[in-house]
Amino acid sequence: MKSVIRFFSSVKLAILLLILITVASILGTLIPQHRSQPEYAAMYGQLSNILIKLQFTRLYQSWWYAFLLLLFSINISICTLTRITHKLKRAFHPTIEKEKKRIQALKIHKAVKSKDSLESLSDSVRTRLSAKGYKVRSESAENAVFLTARKRTLGLFGSDIVHLGLLVIIAGGLISSLGGFRTSFTIFEGEVLDVPRTDFRLRMDKFETEFYPSGSVKDWKSTLTVIENGHAVLTETIEVNHPLSYRGFVFYQSRYGTDWKNMTLEIWVKKKKDSADVDKLKIKLGRRVKLKDKDMEIAAVRFVPDFGIDADNQVVTRSMEPNNPAVFINGYKKKEKVFSGWIFAKYPDFDRIHSGAENGLSFQLKGIEAPQFSGIQMAKDPGVNFVWVGCGFLMFGLFIAFFWTPREVKCIIEKHKGKTEIFAGGIAAKNRDEFQSEFMQITEGIGRLQ
Amino acid sequence: MNEATLFLISFMLYIAAALLYFAFLFSKKAAAAATAYKIIFAGLIVHTGALILRTIESGHAPFTNMYESLSFLSWSAALAYIVIEGKFKIRKAGPYFILIVIALMALASSPLMPKEATPLIPALQSYWLWLHVSVTLLGEAFFAVGFVTSILYLVADSRERKSNPGKPGISSARLDVISYRCIAVGFPLFTLGGLVFGMVWAYKAWGSYWSWDPKETWSLITWFVFALYLHTRIVMGWKGRRSALIAIIGFIAALFTYFGVNYLLSGLHSYA
Repeated sequence: MKSVIRFFSSVKLAILLLILITVASILGTLIPQHRSQPEYAAMYGQLSNILIKLQFTRLYQSWWYAFLLLLFSINISICTLTRITHKLKRAFHPTIEKEKKRIQALKIHKAVKSKDSLESLSDSVRTRLSAKGYKVRSESAENAVFLTARKRTLGLFGSDIVHLGLLVIIAGGLISSLGGFRTSFTIFEGEVLDVPRTDFRLRMDKFETEFYPSGSVKDWKSTLTVIENGHAVLTETIEVNHPLSYRGFVFYQSRYGTDWKNMTLEIWVKKKKDSADVDKLKIKLGRRVKLKDKDMEIAAVRFVPDFGIDADNQVVTRSMEPNNPAVFINGYKKKEKVFSGWIFAKYPDFDRIHSGAENGLSFQLKGIEAPQFSGIQMAKDPGVNFVWVGCGFLMFGLFIAFFWTPREVKCIIEKHKGKTEIFAGGIAAKNRDEFQSEFMQITEGIGRLQ
Repeated sequence: MNEATLFLISFMLYIAAALLYFAFLFSKKAAAAATAYKIIFAGLIVHTGALILRTIESGHAPFTNMYESLSFLSWSAALAYIVIEGKFKIRKAGPYFILIVIALMALASSPLMPKEATPLIPALQSYWLWLHVSVTLLGEAFFAVGFVTSILYLVADSRERKSNPGKPGISSARLDVISYRCIAVGFPLFTLGGLVFGMVWAYKAWGSYWSWDPKETWSLITWFVFALYLHTRIVMGWKGRRSALIAIIGFIAALFTYFGVNYLLSGLHSYA
């Protein structure tokens, strides 16, 4: 057991682990993660099987990466624990130095003689130290006073608080990956959805997309209502960066889309001879409607939001955005198909109607309306609060470790042949420059008493 | 006055400061270095004006594309230098350091960097954009100063080893301390801005505080390298050369996180 503790309390192990985790993390950014087996085969050939078997293809979720993190956590814990007892002792039971030699062996030290009495000199030293924020402890002997003054003792524990923070963060990460879950769904305006793994429902009241004048998307907003036991309990509008939180479940606006299959088209049919005679039709995709001329019907057969023609001369949509909406219509007279072709919303004069006979009609695609759906990402992350608490410790610890470093001044004041002599020394583990100038300020005043 | 003009004026001022600094290096006239320092200060003020104008013109934080963030990084680097120089008086490091500022400014003004301000995509519309990016880049700026002083350390160290007293410079021991102090400021800033604020924002925007996205991973790698620097130094007493080398590697990792990841690896952080 002792040898195990000694093994884990070694800083060399910590450094080795840091290097190993760093190298592994770098590898994980060089090898694409979570791809399919054929993709790896194409990238790495023979090597791909080994990479997959050793989980280099899901490196950050691999057993051996987790094992490294586990070793690292144990290492941090043991290192911190073995050092903290010593530090606590130093913090709560400071030793009062009685050996002049040891004070003079300190890197920062000074010796001054004075005509003042032992009492007045030690009082003045004490006042000077207190004025600089030091907490002074003293012991008196027959002809001597021993002082130990310290400040910012909390800084002693900076690194320990950092380590505690890291352990809490790692624990939070573990809780997140074991107890959390994540899923996404799409929801339409007016739709009510059973939220997976919960006993509440979610209704989408309103979905809107805002655009910049340039046409690019400014924001997506979904107004959602939480329904529990048939009652609406909470209504909130979510947008990217502003999720909805309810009972530990968080709902994020993650994407949006248009359901082109359930769309309604507005088609204007004009007589070529009399353009004032307009027949305004609303037609669902895949349906037929009758024209004013009851003998005639048209059907909207196919719709593409972004019309294009591919290499094989086939009509395709270049994107799911309505950049060049077009619809293919069929025309029937007395149930018999008489014409068909594409009409374009953005190019009203450019229709491609192939008709068996001149029908005297022109068609315009005037409007398209399609239900928009909102893509919601849903997550439950029971570890996240641990991570925030850990981050708090981490930052607090870093701050005091670097900027609140402990300082200690030790003094021996003694009567010697009718004079009073003071030996002062100072200890600061970090930021010695600033400490040295503070030490000089404190002791300079005493020097003048001579 | 528009943003581009102010940017150019500050660029010119930085170049003027660099020229003066090198004049100081050869002539040893302290007045030249003192003037150079003042010119950098003036450049920084003009540059601040440029960033403010950019913010007003675009209506969002001035670091949403590569041009903006490079401009902000060079601003941070100039600021970090002003702070460190003000505290430690390391004029001889000035000429080298200002070269980094100039290199970043030159990169920002290169035609490779699109300069037009574009409206913010939904994912970036958050006050975390300000907090996350500015604090991270400020931390990286201090790593940059530490990088320069570490390189100067290596030079000073090899000079001292050859015991060449003819060329007095800053002592290597002092450069070693200054490098450490830069990292002591940069490390907490980088941790706060890059990792902590990054995680908070990722949680708010993507629903997950950590996704092992290449940029996230590389900022963690950078963090590990500097953690290594601190532990080898404070616990194992490594100083001098080995310390300087780790600081140099750390800055290269930070640079890769900031720059390389965008061009070489793909991921969620596709904006900048």
